[in-house]
Amino acid sequence: MTGAPVVRGTVIEAGERIDDDIDTTDGTEPRDLRSGHSGNGNDAPTRRWNPDIDARMAAYEPSVEDVLSPTLDELSTADPERITLVPDAHYPFHPSTGMVTDPALVGATLSLLDDRTDAELAVAGTSSAAIAFERTTDYLGYPSLVARTGAELVDCSDDDLERERYVLTNDDHAVAVSVPVRLRESAVITVPTLRPTDAGAFAGGRRTLARLVDAVTDAAATAVAATRAIDPRGSLLDATTAYGESPYAANTLFAGPTPAVDTLGESLLGRSSTADRTRAAELEAMGTADSASELSTVRVTPVGPTADASGVDFEQHLATLRKRLDGASLPPSDATHPAVSAAYRLYAAVGGDAVPPQLDARGGH
Amino acid sequence: MCSAIRSRLSGSSGLALGVLGVGNIGMVHLKSALSMAAVDVRAAADAMPENRNRAERAGVARTYDDYTTLLDAEELDAAVVALPPFLHADAVERAAENDIDVFVEKPLARSTEEADRLLETARKAGIAVGVDHTLRYQPDMIGVKSEYEDGTVGHVPYASITRLNDGPLGRPPVEHAPPSWPLDADAAGGGSLLELGIHCFDVLEWLFGDLEVRDATTGTTLDIPVEDAATVLLRAPETETTITLHCGSYQWEQLPEVNTRLRLEGVTGTISNQDHLPGNFYASAAKSALSNVASRVTGSESDVFGPTFYLQAHYEALSAFCDAIRNGDRPPVDGQDGKRSLELAETAYELAAAGDDTELETMEVTR
Repeated sequence: MTGAPVVRGTVIEAGERIDDDIDTTDGTEPRDLRSGHSGNGNDAPTRRWNPDIDARMAAYEPSVEDVLSPTLDELSTADPERITLVPDAHYPFHPSTGMVTDPALVGATLSLLDDRTDAELAVAGTSSAAIAFERTTDYLGYPSLVARTGAELVDCSDDDLERERYVLTNDDHAVAVSVPVRLRESAVITVPTLRPTDAGAFAGGRRTLARLVDAVTDAAATAVAATRAIDPRGSLLDATTAYGESPYAANTLFAGPTPAVDTLGESLLGRSSTADRTRAAELEAMGTADSASELSTVRVTPVGPTADASGVDFEQHLATLRKRLDGASLPPSDATHPAVSAAYRLYAAVGGDAVPPQLDARGGH
Repeated sequence: MCSAIRSRLSGSSGLALGVLGVGNIGMVHLKSALSMAAVDVRAAADAMPENRNRAERAGVARTYDDYTTLLDAEELDAAVVALPPFLHADAVERAAENDIDVFVEKPLARSTEEADRLLETARKAGIAVGVDHTLRYQPDMIGVKSEYEDGTVGHVPYASITRLNDGPLGRPPVEHAPPSWPLDADAAGGGSLLELGIHCFDVLEWLFGDLEVRDATTGTTLDIPVEDAATVLLRAPETETTITLHCGSYQWEQLPEVNTRLRLEGVTGTISNQDHLPGNFYASAAKSALSNVASRVTGSESDVFGPTFYLQAHYEALSAFCDAIRNGDRPPVDGQDGKRSLELAETAYELAAAGDDTELETMEVTR
């Protein structure tokens, strides 16, 4: 793990909220989450995946309400016209893999927002070269889910969406992104997953937002600029199932300012936003660096079955998360390494064999 | 038909072959055919330019963007139909009009009704129909059959087969757009039962004789239009063997690992296909490669796709079909075999639907 930061957070207590710094690196006394959680109604503590989306929503709702309460309070007061959730819905991977936001978590959040606000609700994502957003959301079961609250599914790659150019600049740097206006005019909550991207970065809230904007700069700068342009109200990090080198039922939710939650996620995956000093300096110059003080605003709560299990040691839980997720990476590509392809071609030429199509450039179905 | 086939064989350079559809499996067939000494690959067709480009790079002389044009334009003895299932019947009909034998990718058709029409068209035209059921050509399955028929475990009261992969949606990292037709029931005829289970039905009847479907259940793990999991309870009356079959396209696959498990539980022990696979794929592949290089030096025949047994099975299946056509024989896996597997799948679908209606049991999950 690189540069493991001290991660501080707020633990949700039953009936009250206690601002209590959690130092996962200094060996302070472990906390027993059993005594500090409001419960979720599950009778049988178990870490098994529950395929019933209604049961998962019911299990998530109390924890979402707890961990997202400052944001919910703020939205209740601010009374925005529209609230948009931006989940990690990039491809129809099964939610039990941790590779996408669990739609049940989005459903639970929509339900709470529907109860607590009068805002129009939306769930936004985008189509990619690989697959249309509509197809992804269909396969993940979003249409029936959003119908419960009347929320709208919005494909930000839709050409009909009005967009505006946003330029993030300072003395030395300028990054321009084209952002759907309705996102800029909406109260946005990102709901990313605790997983690595194809490129090995943390697929946090900023990168989830970055997929919704058009830009010509690199992924990190786009993520920063998209976040500044959209200015999300916060991030609800879905670590109910995380993905390290395999799925892990972490049964945890984190919430807070998007950059801070991202920093926490990066640390759990063994990434450090400060490891690249040049990049860190750039971000600092743009006013988007994540200060340690921001981390103390991240709230965390167990969710689902783990929340009811007795004797859960919170500090150990985070340490376990780090251990399980450190060095997270996706499975290796099917694409054969060029050197292997070259060697196979040489062998095939000498041995009179055919070259398997997998060693050719891919195409078609 | 045999003499008719013999008389049709064109030219001295071997069996004139066209390949209709050169997506993933079509490219395997194309490369297999290009490696066959007694086969002359005349042309390939595919609607997608990148697939045609790949075919040209592989060495095919001509490509077409429409398989019907290819069939009309080329003088062929046989054609490989590696198109999506909804085009199989039409492709066979067009081939029949041109007196061309066909080797059809599985499933033969989307339903037994469609298969009947397809086979009737072929019968009237006097063309042969082969079907690409490859499991029975895999060395591990051949090993199981050999052990079983040698009586090494005695009577086999129970057997199980599992075939899982990640289907059209794949796994991360996402490298290409998932095709739409495998998730379209109208286009594909069904889901993993027709995509994967159909292979299992074929290899089980090859092992145990006629099968009866006793019960079945299907399910989806995502909100997709076709099943991505199916479990079937079968009975082989001749051997008095009860069999469970499970297939699904929900599991991430990491090649060269292929999740195909066949176990025969006999009175004196177990026969497993795993015992007939190389313990170390890469070491086995290297050994095969060295053997092929040595064969080249000594002038003996090399094993096409030698280092990859599952591709080698496709080669063997097509090669056996071509040999049969060349010799005027019935294809070793013919249209009736393809239809028979479809019948078993259809019965399984019917029983699964009946089970859903009566809510007797739900073995698979939704979302």
